[in-house]
Amino acid sequence: MAGGKGEPTARPKLTLRRVLAAMGPGMVAALAGADAGGVATYSNAGALFGFAQLWTVPVMCFLLIVAQETAARMGCVTGKGFASLIREQFGVRLSALAMLALLVSNTTVTLSEFAGIASALGLFGVPAYLSIPIAAFAIWLLAMSGSYRRIEKILLAISCIFVTYVIAGVLVGPDWGAALHATLIPRFTEDPRYFSLLVANVGTTIAPWMIFLAQSNVVEKNAREEDLPYQRIDTVTGAVVASAISWFIILTTGAVLHGAGVNVEGAEDAARALAPLAGDYAEILFGAGLAGASFLAACVLPGITANAICEAFGWERGSDRTWSEAPTYRILITAIVVISAGIVIIPDVDLFGIMMIAQVINGLLLPVLLVFMIGIASDKHIMGVYANGRIWNALTWCIVIAVIIFTVLMFILQAMGL
Amino acid sequence: MIYLSQLLGNPVLDASGEKLGAVSDLGIATGEVFPRVTSLAFTGPGKTPFMISWRKYVESFGEDEIRLGVVATDVRFSYLQPDEVLLARDILNKQIVDTRGMRVVRVNDLKLSDTSSTQLRLLGAEVGARGILRSISPALERIATRIGRVFGKPIPERIIAWSYMDLVERDLSNVKLSVSHKTLDDMHPADVADIIEQLDPRLRGRVFAQLDDEQRADAMAELEEDKAAEIMGDLSEAEASRMLSAMDPDDAADLVGELSYEKAEKLLRIMGVEDAAAIRQLLGYRDGTAGRIMTSEAVSLPEAGSVADAVERLRGLEESFETVRYLYLVDEDGRLSGAVTLNALLVNEPSARLADIAAVDLVTASPEDDQEDVAESISKYNLLALPVVDDEGKLLGIVTVDDALDVLEEEHAEDLQIAGAGRSNSSTGEGSHSLLWLLRRELWFFFWIVGVAIMAGVSGGSVPLVNTLLASSALPIALILADDSVSYVTNFFLENDSDDEDSPSMLGFAIKSIGLGVIFGAIVFLIVSGFNSVVFADADGAELVRALLAGFSGAAISTIASFVLSPIYLAILRYRDRRNEETSGYVLSLVAMGIALATFALVAATITGPGIILV
Repeated sequence: MAGGKGEPTARPKLTLRRVLAAMGPGMVAALAGADAGGVATYSNAGALFGFAQLWTVPVMCFLLIVAQETAARMGCVTGKGFASLIREQFGVRLSALAMLALLVSNTTVTLSEFAGIASALGLFGVPAYLSIPIAAFAIWLLAMSGSYRRIEKILLAISCIFVTYVIAGVLVGPDWGAALHATLIPRFTEDPRYFSLLVANVGTTIAPWMIFLAQSNVVEKNAREEDLPYQRIDTVTGAVVASAISWFIILTTGAVLHGAGVNVEGAEDAARALAPLAGDYAEILFGAGLAGASFLAACVLPGITANAICEAFGWERGSDRTWSEAPTYRILITAIVVISAGIVIIPDVDLFGIMMIAQVINGLLLPVLLVFMIGIASDKHIMGVYANGRIWNALTWCIVIAVIIFTVLMFILQAMGL
Repeated sequence: MIYLSQLLGNPVLDASGEKLGAVSDLGIATGEVFPRVTSLAFTGPGKTPFMISWRKYVESFGEDEIRLGVVATDVRFSYLQPDEVLLARDILNKQIVDTRGMRVVRVNDLKLSDTSSTQLRLLGAEVGARGILRSISPALERIATRIGRVFGKPIPERIIAWSYMDLVERDLSNVKLSVSHKTLDDMHPADVADIIEQLDPRLRGRVFAQLDDEQRADAMAELEEDKAAEIMGDLSEAEASRMLSAMDPDDAADLVGELSYEKAEKLLRIMGVEDAAAIRQLLGYRDGTAGRIMTSEAVSLPEAGSVADAVERLRGLEESFETVRYLYLVDEDGRLSGAVTLNALLVNEPSARLADIAAVDLVTASPEDDQEDVAESISKYNLLALPVVDDEGKLLGIVTVDDALDVLEEEHAEDLQIAGAGRSNSSTGEGSHSLLWLLRRELWFFFWIVGVAIMAGVSGGSVPLVNTLLASSALPIALILADDSVSYVTNFFLENDSDDEDSPSMLGFAIKSIGLGVIFGAIVFLIVSGFNSVVFADADGAELVRALLAGFSGAAISTIASFVLSPIYLAILRYRDRRNEETSGYVLSLVAMGIALATFALVAATITGPGIILV
């Protein structure tokens, strides 16, 4: 690996170890990114439009690297969380806006994780009114005590099941030439669902919570400017792995489901994409992976949200603070879990629909936070020589503008469709 | 009364009413208790920043505008003075330390007061919710306070006065502060440590850098070990070694023990020879022994000396010397022969011989003694310090009562954790939720629900739900007994020291626990066979009864399994204890119940008919 280059002080013996030490946050974000919302979005994209959205994967991968790298760089240079920086740069009013956006976006994502857990366990015949209260209770306990870090690795291992998409994709024997072509050449259709899927795709790949998670991980480790190369390696590997998985999900669902004309309306349909690999066990495999990834993300999300909001407004936070010391922190976590679980438990609610809508909302709110990010990362007073260059700024603006265009198109086409 | 949020952005008008720009900041003179506003910063056309003297030019100010006393052409610009602090740039929205409330807070607004028509003073920083609401919109604040009053819970302003603020992010060390200004330097080291733990890692290092050497050393001793080691990593080597020298040798040894070998060696090498030797000596003793927690800073005198000699010696001590509790006497061969209390020195004549007023029957410890035993001796004999001597009776150092208290507290917490009470930090314990408490206490209940859910889910297709529910009615027996088997192990572990020769051997324990398991299992089996003979005759419910029987058989076998496993738990506990690792009894219970649940499910499934598990 190219870790040690340009690092005169780093001894070669330490390099690999330091790379491994820096590894992790990016990987967690990547695999937790293949959560309920991600799987739903990619499966839908594949089932509805075949390979037509494969071209988004390399683009998203690149943009994900841009966003995550900026976050890690801000953390390394300032030693502060994203929320802290927003507050100190933009004052109370704008940080209230940013935090509102984060709260809404993260609550809907948590909601979609619960929907993921419910539909995954539904595959095993466990009804939502049984699985959701138990899962909600466990998630609440883990988020409150902060001890999810202990089971993080187990859940990560479970969610690695989605790597089976890669095998399934190969087993299906798709038309590789067509897939490659679709990956390199963008294709559009006038279907409003195509654009809502695009927005969801951005929202689930470059989720706001991942930006906050990436930066707070760097801050907690107290990584410095000289650690940046290692953080970058982590960011890039994480993004590439995540994108590879999403590429194969679209490929597999595109080949299996789109070919058979199946619409993904629930977890059973999405699971069928794994049938070429696992046969009758496809549902078990899919269900376990979906439950693991969703559970992991659902444990992380309430904590990240509460942490960011308390950081911005200067309230005490952290799992080692009691109810009386950090009431807002604990109330926020509890509220997010209770609201999400409460909505999912409503009888006959469209779980897969929730997962999709949550990603669209996520995509809509992403530009808000990205604008703040550009404002901070390009400020030379804060970032010094590590401030954003013009290209990096332009790329971030690209995400913002692209999402806005997709959103507008989505609404226009939807209005016309009515 | 006016707030900074209301002033910022207001137009600045000159005497003729021409607009010069918009208020961007206020500068204050830092030397006073309620600092005066001394300069006004505003941005003119094209975002050009300007700064002018407040006293000279400002004629009037209000929520709508600031009016100058002269026309624009007569205004002279000034620069920020070294003792000035800018309110919006340095304080607003930043994290500060409330040195009276001893918390880290974020400034939401700044409250100013007009002492005369033109003079404005800073009252303090607003850190409460009202500051946030006001900054978003003053109307929002009014609505919120009104609603608060309706419900009889007025929202108070939380103001921190300038004299109780410490701006952690801006180094004020070259700014002259008022005499009454209380900064981190003036606080108790234990409080400083508490505050440092509330900050982000980067800021921790920066705050630490602002303290003087002695304050650092004391605060470092109070920090949690992992955080202390982290901060050490941020300090330069010269600073780190200076700080280690200033610390008590026992605390310093503790800290050095946390560092990597290379780093520790490097620091010790650049320290003073004497301090480094003291630390090295302590580091030579194993963790958890008296040698590790003793300090070498003890006063010893020859037996032949007089009270006057002793007083002379005490006067000559450095200020940073460990608090003196006793003076120790040594005979000609350097062996410890007695101890003199400070009281005895005060009430006796200066000419009195020390040997005459000394206590000679001393309680001592060897450096290899377990620190817990030493702490217990100190508590038992009501001592302030206990001398540690080597095999020849030479004084090596003393273990002081404060270190003994730490040991007792630590051991107590460890025991509690093994007993399954979880980590009870004095601060987190009382706040824990009643639901959490219930969960910790009645863990089996949770397992039972999960177990029923899983079994119902797995066997859903092939076995009627009633059968599964009936079978799992015996599950609580298996779970509770599994939990009990762990308490049995932990109790045994806490009561019997593995080093103690009198304590039952591992084999004895194994036989005993297997015996217990068989007895418990047999009782459950008896109930099963009771059912069998009484109820089985009824042919209609035969299948239901069989489910019930399967449940009870499962419970019986899983009970035996739980107790058979208990010697393994004991072995784990002892192994981890030897390696000085903490073990949580709670986790052990979780594991035991998980195993019990699995055994139960397996047995019950095999009895009701194979193939259920494999859907």
